[in-house]
Amino acid sequence: MLLIAFALVSSATFAIQAEPTELPPQSQPAPGPATGLSDSAGLRATVFGTPPDAMAPLPAKVPLYEINMTLPWRLPVPEILWFDGKLRVWLSAQKNPAPLAIVISGTGSDGNNKTISVLRAALYGAGYHVLTMPSPTFSGFIVSTSSTGVAGDLMQDGHDLYAAMQQIIAHLPRKVRITDIDLLGFSLGGANAAIVKSIDAREGKLKIHRVVMINPPVSLFGSVGRLDRLFASTIGPGEMGVELLYRRLYVQIANLYRASDRLQLDQNFILSAAAVTLKTDAEFSQAIALAYRLQLVDMFFIGDLYAKTGAVIDPERQPKVGDSLEDIQRDLRAKPFADYYTKVFAPYYLKRRPEATSASLIAANRLDIIADALRTDGDYYAQTNSNDLILNKRELDWLQDTLGSRIVVYDHGGHLGEIGERQQVADMLDMLAGRWPRSGQ
Amino acid sequence: MKAALIVSMGLLALGGCASQVVSIRTVPAQTPAADSAAAAANAAAFAEAVAAEAVVAEPAPGSPVRDGPPAVPLLTPADAPPMYTYDPWERFNRSAYRFNARFDEAIFLPVANTYRRAPRPVRAGVHNFFGNIAEIDSVINYTLQWRLKYGLRSLERLLINSTIGIGGLFDVATKLKLPGTPTGFATTLAKWGMHPGPYLVIPLLGPSTLRDGVGFLADYGAEYGINVAGLYRGNVSWALGPVNAIDQRANIDFRYYSGGSPFEYETIRFLYVRRRLIEDAGLHGKELPKKPAVDAPAGK
Repeated sequence: MLLIAFALVSSATFAIQAEPTELPPQSQPAPGPATGLSDSAGLRATVFGTPPDAMAPLPAKVPLYEINMTLPWRLPVPEILWFDGKLRVWLSAQKNPAPLAIVISGTGSDGNNKTISVLRAALYGAGYHVLTMPSPTFSGFIVSTSSTGVAGDLMQDGHDLYAAMQQIIAHLPRKVRITDIDLLGFSLGGANAAIVKSIDAREGKLKIHRVVMINPPVSLFGSVGRLDRLFASTIGPGEMGVELLYRRLYVQIANLYRASDRLQLDQNFILSAAAVTLKTDAEFSQAIALAYRLQLVDMFFIGDLYAKTGAVIDPERQPKVGDSLEDIQRDLRAKPFADYYTKVFAPYYLKRRPEATSASLIAANRLDIIADALRTDGDYYAQTNSNDLILNKRELDWLQDTLGSRIVVYDHGGHLGEIGERQQVADMLDMLAGRWPRSGQ
Repeated sequence: MKAALIVSMGLLALGGCASQVVSIRTVPAQTPAADSAAAAANAAAFAEAVAAEAVVAEPAPGSPVRDGPPAVPLLTPADAPPMYTYDPWERFNRSAYRFNARFDEAIFLPVANTYRRAPRPVRAGVHNFFGNIAEIDSVINYTLQWRLKYGLRSLERLLINSTIGIGGLFDVATKLKLPGTPTGFATTLAKWGMHPGPYLVIPLLGPSTLRDGVGFLADYGAEYGINVAGLYRGNVSWALGPVNAIDQRANIDFRYYSGGSPFEYETIRFLYVRRRLIEDAGLHGKELPKKPAVDAPAGK
C-alpha cells in the first residue's frame, strides 16, 4: 500500500546508517579554516559516526516511555505549527531506585534520534534511568517550551530547559525512584547542559550532580559561523548550490538503482547508495553543511514567526494552514545563521534587553560566561576530539585549560563521530560516576 | 463484534483528542544491539552488491564511460527532475495531510503499537497472509508489464505459500530463495509510460500521485473481483481492511511530525515523488527513460 512510502522517507536528510566497507582512496586535506580543527578523517567520522565494530556493547532491549507535556507557560501556538504544541521527551526507567541521567540533544534535533539512542542504550545498560530531551533549538521545543520563540540564546534556553526538566520530573510515575540527577548533552546540548547545571547551582531545585559535555561548542556563534562558511565554500551561496547537489545525488542513486537487479527502492538501498556516493572531503563537507542548514531553516522560520521580525514572513500576512510554504523554505535554505542573527535574534533580544548591544549578545553566547564554575566546580566534565570541526585551536585550548583533568580529548571522531565507541562510553560512565580521573592516570 | 470495534475506536479517538497536561505511554522497546548488527550487515551486503555489479561511478564531464562497455547508459545531472513538485491540488492535499497526521496520532499509531505487543509469530502470520493474497495481484501485473520472469516467481510464491505455507501464513518461498517483490497496477501504468501526474495525499492512506492512486484502486478492484476465499465479500470482509491496515502500519517506522519541522509536507512530497521517479527510471531497464522524465509541467 501507499503507506509504504513513509518507510522510505522517515529518516530524511542525511541519516546515513553505517559506513560502506569499501574504502575510497585517501583524499586531499580538508579545506582550510572553515572546518575548524577538522581533518579528512574527522569529516568522514562526522558523517558516518562510529563504525559498528568499534561500538561499545549495548543492551539487547531498552524499554521506552514517551511523555508528552503541555507546559503552563507555553506561548500561543501558531495554527500552522499545531503539531508542535506539546513537549515530547522519552524515558527509559529502571525497575529499582537509580540515578537519573538527562540527555540533551544537539542543534535542531529531537530527543529520540540515532545519536541519542546510542547514549540512552549505554546509560540504561549501566543502570541509569535515562530521560532524553530535544535541543532548545528543535522546532517542537521552541513551540511547546520556549518562553520567547526565538531560540539560540544560551542563558534563555537554559532557563527554559531547566523549567521543563522540573515539570517533567514532577510528573514522572511514582514507581520511578530517582537517587541522583546527572546531565549530559552533545554538541550544542553539551553547552546547554553546563548552563542548566550552573542555573541549578543558584536555584537548587533539582540538585543536579555531574555534567558531561560531549563535543560542546565554546563560542556558539563562532561554531555556527564555521558551518556557514563550510556551506558557502562547498555548496555555494544561495539555492543554486543546493540544486546542483540535489541533481548529482539524484542521478547517482538513480544510476545505482537502475544498474541493480532490485525491483523496489527501499530505504536501506537509498541510504546505502547515498553513503557510497560520498567519497571526497568536499562531499562530506557538503553533507555536514546541508544537514546543519536544514536544521537552521526550521529554527529561523519559527523565530521569525514568533518575533514578527518580517525577515521571511510578512507579520501582517502570516501563512495559514493550507498555504504553500515551499517558497519560504527555498528562501531560507539560502540564508546563513548570520541572517538569523541580524534579522531575528538581535532585533528581538535588543528590544527586550535595553542594556544589551550586539557585541554583548554575542559574548553572552560563549561557554566562558560560566568559566568560573567550569574551573572550580569538580562536577563538570567534557569529552571532545582534536579534530572537531566546530572548534578552533584557541577554543580547544581554552576548554583544556579550564577543565584541566576533567576533559578527555580523543585524536579522532570529528564532531560526534566517536559517540558509542568503547572508550568514549567507558570514559563517560566513569565521569558520571565520579571515577574520573582514573587513579594512575 | 463489529459494533464493539467501532465503539472502541470511537473511544480511542476521543482519548486521543482529550487535552491533558501530561500523557505517559509505553512505546515499543528499542533493540540497540540488534540494530547495530543489522546496520553493519546491511552496509556490508550493499558494498558487496555494488562490487559484484561493478557499476557506476559519477560520470566525469567529457568521459561518461569507464573502460569496457557500461552496464547501463548513465543518467546525467541534467536528467534529474526539477526540485519543484507539481502539486495543483495543494490546498486539498495539505488538509488531507493534516487529517492523516491527526488520525495517525490519535488512532492508527496507538492501535498499531498495541498490535506490536502481540507475539511475533502471530504478527508474522498476519503479515504473510496479506502478502500472499497480494501475490495474486503481482502475478497479474507482472504479466501486464510483460516481465514474465518475475510474474513466474510471484506465481511460484503464491503456489508454494498457499499450500506448504498453509494458506499463506508462512512465507516458505522466501526460505527457498524466492523473495517477495510485490508489484501493482501503479507500476504497470508506469511501465506503460504514464507519468505520475499531480501529487495527491489520499485521506487515511497517505502520500501518492494521481497515477499511484488509480493503481491502488485498480489493485483493490482486482482483489475484490477475484474475491479469494470469499474474504472480500463475505461475513468478515468489514474486518479485512482494518486488519490489513494495522499490519501495514505496524511495519512502518514513521511518525508524523517527529522532526517537528514546519516544512514536513514539502519534505515528504519531495522525497516521495523523487523515489517514485527513480523507480520509474529503473523500469526502463537498460534504456534511458523517455524524455521528459519529469513529474509534470516543471513547477512554476
